[in-house]
Amino acid sequence: MAVLSRRVLASAFARSFLIQGSWNYRTMLGTGFAFAMLPALRLIFKENPVALEASVRRHLEHFNAHPYLSNIALGAALRLEADGESEDAVRRFKVAVRGPLGGLGDALVWASWLPAVSLSALSLVWLGVPGWVAVLVFLAVYNLGHVWLRAWGFKAGLAEGMGVARSLGRVALARLTERVRALAALLLGVLLGTVLGGEGGLGEAGVIWGGLAAAAFVAGVLVGHRLWRPTAVTVVATVAVLATFGWFL
Amino acid sequence: MELLQIALVGGVLALDGTSLGQFMVSRPLVAGVLTGWVLGDPALGLLVGAILELYLLVSFPSGGARFPEGATATVVAVAVAAAAGSPGGVPLGVAAGLIWGQVGGWSISWLRRANGRFVPEPDAENPERLMAAHIGAMVLDLARGTLVTLVGAASGRWAVQFFAGAWPLDSTDSAGLLLVGGAVSAGIFLRDLGGFRRRKFLLAAGVALGLLGARLL
Repeated sequence: MAVLSRRVLASAFARSFLIQGSWNYRTMLGTGFAFAMLPALRLIFKENPVALEASVRRHLEHFNAHPYLSNIALGAALRLEADGESEDAVRRFKVAVRGPLGGLGDALVWASWLPAVSLSALSLVWLGVPGWVAVLVFLAVYNLGHVWLRAWGFKAGLAEGMGVARSLGRVALARLTERVRALAALLLGVLLGTVLGGEGGLGEAGVIWGGLAAAAFVAGVLVGHRLWRPTAVTVVATVAVLATFGWFL
Repeated sequence: MELLQIALVGGVLALDGTSLGQFMVSRPLVAGVLTGWVLGDPALGLLVGAILELYLLVSFPSGGARFPEGATATVVAVAVAAAAGSPGGVPLGVAAGLIWGQVGGWSISWLRRANGRFVPEPDAENPERLMAAHIGAMVLDLARGTLVTLVGAASGRWAVQFFAGAWPLDSTDSAGLLLVGGAVSAGIFLRDLGGFRRRKFLLAAGVALGLLGARLL
């Protein structure tokens, strides 16, 4: 295995924060992945410019995953390149992991962790905590999970290479996701409670607004995402009608 | 000058949405407070940001999906709300933000198509060209976010002057109206978590805790 210096590894890790910088519908994360790999590839193939060019080309190919969990693939790909694995092995590995890393990441981060932290910050706002405190809590708690996930993924990939699936099993990301989702359900309840009982909330807005909000909540549960766009259109249209009505008065 | 400042805030925050870091400074709650601070009214920014955060609770930058852009939407919403004044500022700002979130989403799709044209092909002559393409794409995203915010804030502030003084609802009813829309997002999120039957005990415990917290604080 070629030795990857700390400096090169730190550079690859820092570049992973920019992995979506040139996201596009053709190669998706591919260009960003090659961009993050580049310092390490330059070190590994410093004696062989032809091999360097070939390695950059294979990492420019289409790749997609959740941006945070893509660090697992990034670390593992660095390890495979340093170990001198064949082009086919590297390519097969990336094709095999991209689907699971996308699905797991979306479920854990976008659909669970982000809304859970967001709900806790919103509850703090409705409880009257100063806004800057709520924002700092949101950023600190969210990014604690975010940066840990990126760092853990990079380290696990680098340590285990092709066998990184074992790490995924040990951390049991699916079980972790379920726990975060349970926490999010509790926090959703907390937010509903604070909005109902807090200052300037629905409790003060009266029975009509409270009833309409309850009906809207139930409609959201029953219909799901299909209702989001019509709701946004309805809110915009209602505001526009009221504003126009007021203008004519 | 103020408009330019707002546009730059929008551009920088939009970068965080996808291209750079995703530390979530682009979320409406954070973007609202920051924009409010720039405009000298962080409390208004917090209120508008919190409402849009609730609306965009179920919207996230997942894969190739088109999503409303929270950062530019919130910066525009706060700029419009600040220009309108109370009591119509918040609903007019939130409405402007909801419209501009869609415009931001379309502009992201455009950017992604544009990126696809100039990132190097895997079999390109000089694959190291990727450095320039990658950094160029981020600069383009910054320019996109700045322009989207500039146009949104300028047109929103121009349009709102005709309606702001004539808003017919008081602040309590305005909050009620906006919270009805937010309740739909909360319902959608509960469905995403498995629905009422699966989460009823946790939800009920949370409501009790929230009511208790609201009473105590």
